[in-house]
Amino acid sequence: MFSRNHRSRVTVARGSALEMEFKRGRFRLSLFSDPPEDTELQRKLDHEIRMREGACKLLAACSQREQALEATKSLLVCNSRILSYMGELQRRKEAQWLEAKARTLPSDSGPPAERSPCRGRVCISDLRIPLMWKDTEYFKNKGDLHRWAVFLLLQLGEHIQDTEMILVDRTLTDISFQSNVLFTEAGPDFELRLELYGACVEEEGALTGAPKRLATKLSSSLGRSSGRRVRASLDSAGGSGSSSILLPTPAVGGPRYHLLAHTTLTLAAVQDGFRTHDLTLASHEENPAWLPLYGSVCCRLAAQPLCMTQPTASGTLRVQQAGEMQNWARVHGVLKGTNLFCYRRPEDADTGEEPLLTIAINKETRVRAGELDQAPGQPFTLSISNQYGDDEVTHTLQTESREALQSWMEALWQLFFDMSQWKQCCDEIMKIETPAPRKPPQALTKQGSLYHEMAIEPLDDIAAVTDILTQREGTRLETPPPWLAMFTDQPALPNPCSAASVAPAPAWTQPLPWGRPRTFSLDAVPPDHSARACSVVPLPPQRSPQTRGLYSKGQPRTWLQSPV
Amino acid sequence: MSAQWAMGQVKVPALEPWGPAVYSQMAVSISQQRVEIHKLRQGENLILGFSIGGGIDQDPSQNPFSEDKTDKGIYVTRVSEGGPAEIAGLQIGDKIMQVNGWDMTMVTHDQARKRLTKRSEEVVRLLVTRQSLQKAVQQSMLS
Repeated sequence: MFSRNHRSRVTVARGSALEMEFKRGRFRLSLFSDPPEDTELQRKLDHEIRMREGACKLLAACSQREQALEATKSLLVCNSRILSYMGELQRRKEAQWLEAKARTLPSDSGPPAERSPCRGRVCISDLRIPLMWKDTEYFKNKGDLHRWAVFLLLQLGEHIQDTEMILVDRTLTDISFQSNVLFTEAGPDFELRLELYGACVEEEGALTGAPKRLATKLSSSLGRSSGRRVRASLDSAGGSGSSSILLPTPAVGGPRYHLLAHTTLTLAAVQDGFRTHDLTLASHEENPAWLPLYGSVCCRLAAQPLCMTQPTASGTLRVQQAGEMQNWARVHGVLKGTNLFCYRRPEDADTGEEPLLTIAINKETRVRAGELDQAPGQPFTLSISNQYGDDEVTHTLQTESREALQSWMEALWQLFFDMSQWKQCCDEIMKIETPAPRKPPQALTKQGSLYHEMAIEPLDDIAAVTDILTQREGTRLETPPPWLAMFTDQPALPNPCSAASVAPAPAWTQPLPWGRPRTFSLDAVPPDHSARACSVVPLPPQRSPQTRGLYSKGQPRTWLQSPV
Repeated sequence: MSAQWAMGQVKVPALEPWGPAVYSQMAVSISQQRVEIHKLRQGENLILGFSIGGGIDQDPSQNPFSEDKTDKGIYVTRVSEGGPAEIAGLQIGDKIMQVNGWDMTMVTHDQARKRLTKRSEEVVRLLVTRQSLQKAVQQSMLS
């Protein structure tokens, strides 16, 4: 059990990324002596630092522009997450210090605890940014198809998420992102900052040696100039106002992402449907990554406050039967969303049985405690009144004890407060689709060696990786893939056709609990099976046979929905 | 905790062989509808006000609206309230067979989207099929 005065020592694993950062003197260990609720944040920070190193190495090994674009994007997102988490840790530390100090000062009763609104889930989906191509004046060479790589970065509080990267050229009328981005733990005062970054796919000034220089600069982690920026960002932590979330790329050469547009969305923008919002354009025509944006973004921003989806109170109540003053029915009441459901038995709430009685609780409902004439044996009453047209309907409920009455009243006051804070989100529950796990970057290369093996990055345990792959591939992976032989002592298996099913599935439906996969081995040589004629691997009947070799797409795993 | 309730709580009405028995029947019929949607101009774009799902490059088993889970057709997954599609009578769950004469039963998801969002067309005429449920309850009694 942690007490406030006890200085907890966080254990830093030897050789971990976090320990390396301490050694470099980037931040003090005392910054991390935190109560247990911050260990989650530290863990995330450590994870991002490791991902950043992976991205640096990947970038160093990239030979093709598209891979470099993906890798740079990952790197920039990691950087921004690191900054954001560090800023959050700093803020929490300061808050604790202030709190501890306030406690030592002599104080009288002090201000009463302020009521805070419940958290909620905010989901933004179906993002679409229209483009406005004018005819030929922007293109120096009409025959050339200029291409851009764009992605969106979304920040809410200290959480940063990105969408997939999309290649844009002048045949597209708008940039449509398929991903849903979900933020949990948002308050009603949330600010969702949305930023559009773009980079040219064509080299800005072809430098073949650039990737290596880029890599060495990046791999020296937070260098002097970046360190200054880090400290500056720590002061303005929490992703505010005008500065962009991302650090500018520290090195020359390699792809550079430029901020093209941004906007901030708040509770007022939440609606169960599409809305168009204005974008603030941030780049001008001389910028190499400039895109002719129409100036708005269309999306669906939905919010589900927890008070709507989770029961906030439950317990035994007695309901006065209609018309019969003395007959009280015993029910199990559950307060959820804008209704008080009264079930016959407590189990009915779980089985989905219809409740005996449903009492609506909304902004216009009036609740009074103990107002009924205090007839003997009828203390602790609660009356709930709703206006239906001209009629006022009042339900009277009895609780078992004074404490029960107080806790019901408290729950109802909290619900009213939440409804006043979350406003339109409490009218009806907005549907939020669980975001489908994102497709990993496609095998962009024709001959390439980079993406033909996928692994889940926190685990460097090959057994776990093969477990995951077999689980995902299902019954298709009948024999262990030949590349496994590189890591175990077993001889390589002779069947070359099973290599076909090792191809990265472009999308899968099982959610990955640990985020995006990264490539596992950059140096592995793809097994040579071009000369042999593959016979069809025996597969379960419902799947179509795979005959195209290493990069076959396999079964579709998504069921996309698009607005039109 | 709710899992254990799901197992034991299924109530089966007792059926007496010679007593009154209640049957309920559900019949599904398919009807074809022609829907004409006038696109709404929103800035530079023409929108129809609904969302589609499906396509030959998608996984049909995830389609919540299809009877046959191998059907790779294009389905209407959402209709915006008050939008052109709702006004024209399009309903969620409809399967789109044709758009302005173009077939939509054997297209990829993106091809379907493109056929609906052609900038040169202000009106799209869809041929859709719709399932409707009829619940018939019969009571038969033996005298």
